[in-house]
Amino acid sequence: MAILTLRGATKRYGAVTAVDHVSFEARPGRILGMLGPNGAGKTSAIRMIADITAPDEGEVLLDGHPVGPWSQKVMGYLPEERGLYRKLKVGEQLLFLAALKGIPRAKAKEKVHYWAQRFGLEQWLVRKTQELSKGMQQKVQFIAAVLPEPRFLILDEPFSGLDPINSELLREIIFELKSAGRTILFASHRMEQVEQLCDDICLIARGKVLIHGGLREVKRSYGRNTLFLDFEGDGAFLAPFLRAGRIEVKSRDARGAELRLLDTRVPRAILDAMISQQVNFYRYELAEPSLTEIFISEVGES
Amino acid sequence: MSATLIIARSEFLRRVKSKGFIITTLLAPLALIGFGAVIVVITFVSVDAIESDLRTIGVVDETGFVLDRILADGNAEHTLIAAEAETAREETLAGRYDAYVVIGAGVVTGEEPVRYFAAKGGGFGIADDLRYLIRDAVRKYRMEQASITQETLDIIYTNVDLQSVMLGTEGEEAGSSLAYGGVGAIMGFMIYITMLLYGTTVMQGVMEEKQTRIVEVIVSSARPFSLLMGKVLGIGAMGLTQLATWAVMIFAVTTFGGMIFGLFMDPASLGLEASASTEDILAAAEITLPSIHFSVFIWFVLYFAGGYLLYAGLFAAAGSMVEQQQDAQTVLLPLLMPIIVSIVFISPVLQSPNSTLAVVLSLIPFTAPVPMVVRLAVTDIPLWEVLLSYGLLVAGFVGTIWVSSRIYRVGILMYGKKASLKDAVRWLRHG
Repeated sequence: MAILTLRGATKRYGAVTAVDHVSFEARPGRILGMLGPNGAGKTSAIRMIADITAPDEGEVLLDGHPVGPWSQKVMGYLPEERGLYRKLKVGEQLLFLAALKGIPRAKAKEKVHYWAQRFGLEQWLVRKTQELSKGMQQKVQFIAAVLPEPRFLILDEPFSGLDPINSELLREIIFELKSAGRTILFASHRMEQVEQLCDDICLIARGKVLIHGGLREVKRSYGRNTLFLDFEGDGAFLAPFLRAGRIEVKSRDARGAELRLLDTRVPRAILDAMISQQVNFYRYELAEPSLTEIFISEVGES
Repeated sequence: MSATLIIARSEFLRRVKSKGFIITTLLAPLALIGFGAVIVVITFVSVDAIESDLRTIGVVDETGFVLDRILADGNAEHTLIAAEAETAREETLAGRYDAYVVIGAGVVTGEEPVRYFAAKGGGFGIADDLRYLIRDAVRKYRMEQASITQETLDIIYTNVDLQSVMLGTEGEEAGSSLAYGGVGAIMGFMIYITMLLYGTTVMQGVMEEKQTRIVEVIVSSARPFSLLMGKVLGIGAMGLTQLATWAVMIFAVTTFGGMIFGLFMDPASLGLEASASTEDILAAAEITLPSIHFSVFIWFVLYFAGGYLLYAGLFAAAGSMVEQQQDAQTVLLPLLMPIIVSIVFISPVLQSPNSTLAVVLSLIPFTAPVPMVVRLAVTDIPLWEVLLSYGLLVAGFVGTIWVSSRIYRVGILMYGKKASLKDAVRWLRHG
């Protein structure tokens, strides 16, 4: 049974329908990636899930019950547009936010120290927020979201503004939370992150769900129609295939190219061409399409 | 603990512990005293400045006696020089006189004015000085002509004094209504200042939460109404703390200040025995502090609370509508108008506290707090009128908080554009 269910959820702002009869679900203990271009309705959908706004139509259920003040207590939320009180000390800030979630003060203190230690922020707890770097503030905001040990956690662009070391630490912690049985909604427009982290995806554009399902199943449904090539030289051997309309170049960089295959026999023909023309190549990988490709083709078509 | 209380507590502690709060609370009374001192100093300095502004004036005296009398009295501080009508003009234009006056023969009978000529217009101060000097000389001359002596004149000009006495159930109290007016004005002004001060504090707080975007995190844990009320109550509690501190300070100054003053007064200089008590000394020195009934202070606190609640919600709604500091002015203006009206009318209300204007102003919730507190301090108001006024104020703040919360909950989540009053009305109707 799904932990989170949206059924025909709709949100209108004046004449604009930000979320248009959206239905999807999040399965327990899994990470659901929510993708969509800017202005697709991600934030509006998340606000309904977090019970910040109410849907005009349809319903949002957590554990089968409509969301409300009760669900806010068991949900953690890291918004994309986030901030902290500038003049408040980091520790007090976290204790205040924990108190709002109904966590007893003694227990909250314990957790604040645990998480501050995980993120190397202990000595910063007594400092004012405005003295922290942007990256450190990001970590404080993340702590605020996980502090109530939420069963359901919403992370909207959690990696933005983090350096690679802290990104890695965050990734580690997200997997930890997942193995502890937490369900996570991960919203992003960074496809490679979604691909690395998520079990399920939900692609939203113009307020509607375009694709929803397990990441592997979704990718498999598109077939192995992509060829990744890393090679030396100018790639002149590809020219005849392009002219014949048998391939499309999806992307091209200094190392090689990502090709879309338009006929089933072309992978073999390209391999033959490279060998006969003595092209040095390091990668020849027949693959499912990347999420980016699926995203572009779906959003472009709709 | 409910979310409202958690937020109120956090707001209160955060603000009361801040350096800004401690400094304002302790220094505001000192600043007030300092401000008073500056006014006194400026007043004396400017008097000095006028006195040192002495000029040379040509006097064309066609009456033949006015200038002689002025010079004989020795009251003139300016240098007065007898001049001829033909030359005075040239002398003045040449800069040897700062100005000149022509006292025509008709001045004595009042048929013609004294004419004052100055190259650069001169100053009102000099013209006035001359007018008084000439007027006194001419009047003395007229009195002599009518055979009125200085003794007769002194009898006519003997002052008539008026002493006002407050009637009360506990007896009469001789004191000046000026003192009561002073207390009323101070109380009214305090309500005005604090409503503005704490109201804008609420607005700043809302704007900070919106600007930093922390509001999004908070409303994922608590209802916007809880956040609004928590903020309003927390800052209100801070305000009461500040007012209470000031009240204690004022009480200390009026009680112990008098005693200290009494210690430095020499009883003998007031015609009292050396063993005279402090009260006797103060009474003999004619230092009377108006005794304000305790209930007035209770009403002061109640009207402060009511007025604050009425405006605080609206200030919060205004803050939720803007992101930038510079946009705040436009949404503030409609809020400030009624507050300003209530302070503008403080003087007429003091003059006649039971006039229709005063009664009407103290019944309208938006203007009630200031005039009502003034009236309570200076006059007796029927209880039903106070209760009606307060009842309307309570209804008023329940209404404004309801309206504000509907605007607020939409406004805090609205980014990227400045909301207009039209938007606010739409949010109010549709949420």
